[in-house]
Amino acid sequence: MENIITIRDLTVRFYTYEGVVHAIDGLNLDIRQGETLGIVGETGSGKTMTALAILRLIPYPGRIESGSIAFFDRDLHSEIELLKLSEDKMRSIRGNKISMVFQEPGAALNPVYTIGDQISEVFLLHQRRELGKRAKEQVDRSLRDGDGFAAGMKRPFWRWQRRLYDKIAQESNLFEPRFLSHVPFFRRLLWRLKDESNLLTVDMLKDVEIPDAARVAIHYPHELSGGMKQRAVIAMALACSPELLIADEPTTSLDVTIQAQMLELFRRIKVEKGASVLFITHNLGVASEVCDRVAVMYAGSLCEVASVEELFLNPSHPYTKALLDAVPMPGKQLQTIPGQLADPLNPPTGCRFHPRCPSAKPVCQQEKAKLKEINKDHMVACHLF
Amino acid sequence: MELRSYIIRRLFLLIPVLFGVTIFIFGITMLFSPIERAALYVTSSRQMLNIPLIIETYGLDQPFWVQYGNWMSQVFSGNLGWSKVVGMPVWDAIWSFLPATLELAIFTTPIIIFTGIFLGSRAAAHKDRPLDHGTRVMAIFGWSLPTFWLGLLLLMVFYGYFTGLLPPHRLGIPMDMVVNSAEFTRYTHINTIDAILNLNGAVLLDALRHLILPVITLSVTQVAFIMRLMRSSMLESLGKGYILTARAKGLSERVVVNKHARRNALIPVITVSGYVFAGMMNGVVITETIFTFKGIGWWAWQSAIRLDIASVLGFALFNSVLFVLVNLVVDILYTRVDPRVRLGGTVQ
Amino acid sequence: MSDWKFMVRQLVKNPLSLAGIIILFIFAFIAIFAPLIAPPPEGHLDNYMIPRDGYSATPKLPSEEHIFGTTEGQYDIFYGVIWGTRSAFHVGLLVIGIVLVVGIVLGSLAGYFGGVIDEIIMRITDVFLAFPALILAMAIVAALGPSLKSVMIALCVVSWPSYARLIRGDILQVREEDYIEASRGIGASNFRVVMRHALPNSIYPTLVMASLDIGAVVLAAAALSFLGLGAPEGYADWGQLTSFARNWIVGPSGDPFRYWFAVTIPGLFILFFVLAWNLLGDAFRDILDPRLARR
Repeated sequence: MENIITIRDLTVRFYTYEGVVHAIDGLNLDIRQGETLGIVGETGSGKTMTALAILRLIPYPGRIESGSIAFFDRDLHSEIELLKLSEDKMRSIRGNKISMVFQEPGAALNPVYTIGDQISEVFLLHQRRELGKRAKEQVDRSLRDGDGFAAGMKRPFWRWQRRLYDKIAQESNLFEPRFLSHVPFFRRLLWRLKDESNLLTVDMLKDVEIPDAARVAIHYPHELSGGMKQRAVIAMALACSPELLIADEPTTSLDVTIQAQMLELFRRIKVEKGASVLFITHNLGVASEVCDRVAVMYAGSLCEVASVEELFLNPSHPYTKALLDAVPMPGKQLQTIPGQLADPLNPPTGCRFHPRCPSAKPVCQQEKAKLKEINKDHMVACHLF
Repeated sequence: MELRSYIIRRLFLLIPVLFGVTIFIFGITMLFSPIERAALYVTSSRQMLNIPLIIETYGLDQPFWVQYGNWMSQVFSGNLGWSKVVGMPVWDAIWSFLPATLELAIFTTPIIIFTGIFLGSRAAAHKDRPLDHGTRVMAIFGWSLPTFWLGLLLLMVFYGYFTGLLPPHRLGIPMDMVVNSAEFTRYTHINTIDAILNLNGAVLLDALRHLILPVITLSVTQVAFIMRLMRSSMLESLGKGYILTARAKGLSERVVVNKHARRNALIPVITVSGYVFAGMMNGVVITETIFTFKGIGWWAWQSAIRLDIASVLGFALFNSVLFVLVNLVVDILYTRVDPRVRLGGTVQ
Repeated sequence: MSDWKFMVRQLVKNPLSLAGIIILFIFAFIAIFAPLIAPPPEGHLDNYMIPRDGYSATPKLPSEEHIFGTTEGQYDIFYGVIWGTRSAFHVGLLVIGIVLVVGIVLGSLAGYFGGVIDEIIMRITDVFLAFPALILAMAIVAALGPSLKSVMIALCVVSWPSYARLIRGDILQVREEDYIEASRGIGASNFRVVMRHALPNSIYPTLVMASLDIGAVVLAAAALSFLGLGAPEGYADWGQLTSFARNWIVGPSGDPFRYWFAVTIPGLFILFFVLAWNLLGDAFRDILDPRLARR
């Protein structure tokens, strides 16, 4: 089975006022079809950047220096190199085949548009043909069933609409519908598209377990609680049934009780939609709940990646071990990892972790370790192996 | 319901402010002698001859509060006094000069708004590139230009050098005669609108020709201000989380900027439009004076120079009421644009 | 301290603000050395009244005797703009100084004590802010009689409300900080708390922006003088000088720009003076903006 995402040798650098920051350094990572891969790491480990790199949304002053990110497109039955794709094609993938959920739902939603509008936007953008088809069917029904004087008056408009929707259903980018959608008065002809997308939106909101979905859809983000907002954001991401869903710390800003509900939702999504999920978090407990495999990152490099059980039973990389040790447990003395986070402007030579590593060897300062398979499906990048 | 009670509440709060405004204005008149103050109560040129009688009738040598009371009751009955500068009651003077200023405002306001917002968004979208730097320099220049100087320079070039191309006043002499003739009906006294209603192309063109320079002079400063504000507001908006979300949804950059960023960026600009209006009123006085464009700004200047306090105070009062109402409208607009202000509370 | 150094460095690096600083220095130089640059003639009584060379109404072109020419009424333009620089600084600094003091006092009272005092002061500022500034200034000057002093009084009256509000805002931001509470806890009087703790920690940005409004004040004063409501005829004031040019913007046919100097020169002085302050102000605004702080 192919990987859905294959990252090889990815390097991302930020050119800031104070110097060059190595956000990601020679990353090699696979996301398998249908799995939920977790990326665990502290702030600055490069986990969010990895997600943004996949979608090619690295903000200025960052740049993807080198490497390759291959995406296996289910519809095309082939791999595409995302980093070489044109911006147009990339946009048709974003929100459609690969979508993302961000950490702060409050910040992720535009305060001046309703929830429903923002979700409908995704449908109108990526599923225009489907919407056109449904709208056409709607008009057909009106043409068939409508009678009486009012219907008679509207018929010519209905026929015009039908022609438009038919065109959209065939190829969403033809001239006439696109032109009319920009002209103020004639825009109204295309109202059924919005109507159909609203129906799909409400369905989507129901899917993410938002109660009274139709009413919520016409509300504004500030009128919803944190948990509801996050569900709405998830609905927005799942709207077009993406093949890969990237979730960047989706539960971090929520209450613990809501967190539990959210994780339950993610588990359900995994089962029902069959999408692959890249789940980013700094919380090992959360990772253990939802993920199939877990990757541990530090200072822009991958330390260890293994299945969830294997990682927790057999942590091999010193950093992984330290992370697990640091989890507070009643009765146990609080453990910390000595030293400071690697300075992003001036990272340590060789293995990034070596200054804080209890088992550091001289070679650790000189060169970075390569990923080696030490057990079935368990890779570690450490000179100890 | 929400909106209506909000409006009513705001109108109520208006009253103490207007109260304070009138006290202040009236306080200024105390700096004048009773004879000069008599002009505030006069309604015809004949009355001007009877000043001692007026002083006695209205108790102009009485204590402040008595006079204030008298004056206020006057004002409420519509009598703002006599404008010696133009020889008619102040109230009439205001209404006779207002159309000219309205004409200026009708043309200037859209230009200021659209140009400022457009240039501001462009500058933000091309941050740190030549367009951004160019508009920044333009804005600082525009903001530093003395309006009166700009007006004079424009006249020098377009009226002097290109002889008579863009002249001062509202209309040239021939068209002025047409407008005052029997065949031409002055519905609104706004020349451009009247010309359209009378289907008279020549008057329309002439009026427009006379409007070009005053409108430019009036708008430059305000456009500079709005442009800078829009730019910083857009930059702030573009840095927000929902922009990243919008991009992650696959929207084109154009849609992200125009639909998502701009709507949010407009909010501070709307908040500020009350001040822009005030700035325009300031500019109107100077502009109308330079171009001898006889609107209320010109009338106010004439009155100030000739120490016609009835007119000056009438103008100040009119202005403050107008300003307060404009701010109210702006506030209401603000609630329309920003849903967070309109409603409130969470849905569980 | 390093904050100041960083700020100064930023100002000098930015070409626009550097230009502003240089222009200001030039103006300051002119103002200080005015008596040397444009010496008043022998026995001249008031240095600020421009010497006249006759009474003819037609302006004279620039010549050796009158470097920038003369205005209608034969006032020497060169003398006028040089000494006008002094007037400009005088008006600007005085008005902003007074306005800041009033604004700080009333703003601190309103912000620190809150409650009824705050409400009253805020309503008063509302009243003043209900006027477009120039119009209110016009009314005040008309009442007091046209003179530069009336203009300054009018500008003070018109400008203080915005500063009171700004400073009130500053105090409000700082009021809930722990160190305010702490100093009150050890028994410091309210006055001391405000003067020594609240103000110093909050008002620097506002102070900076206020001083950069000197340009705006001078612009407003020039406008009032131009309208005839400010400095008397013949006074060395840029706006006043410009008003002489009103009748001479168009020369005889065939030589329309003949009297260009009467309009252009005083106006250029105003423009560059205000421009310099605005350039600085713009740069400062960028520096003080926390979002644009070093990345």
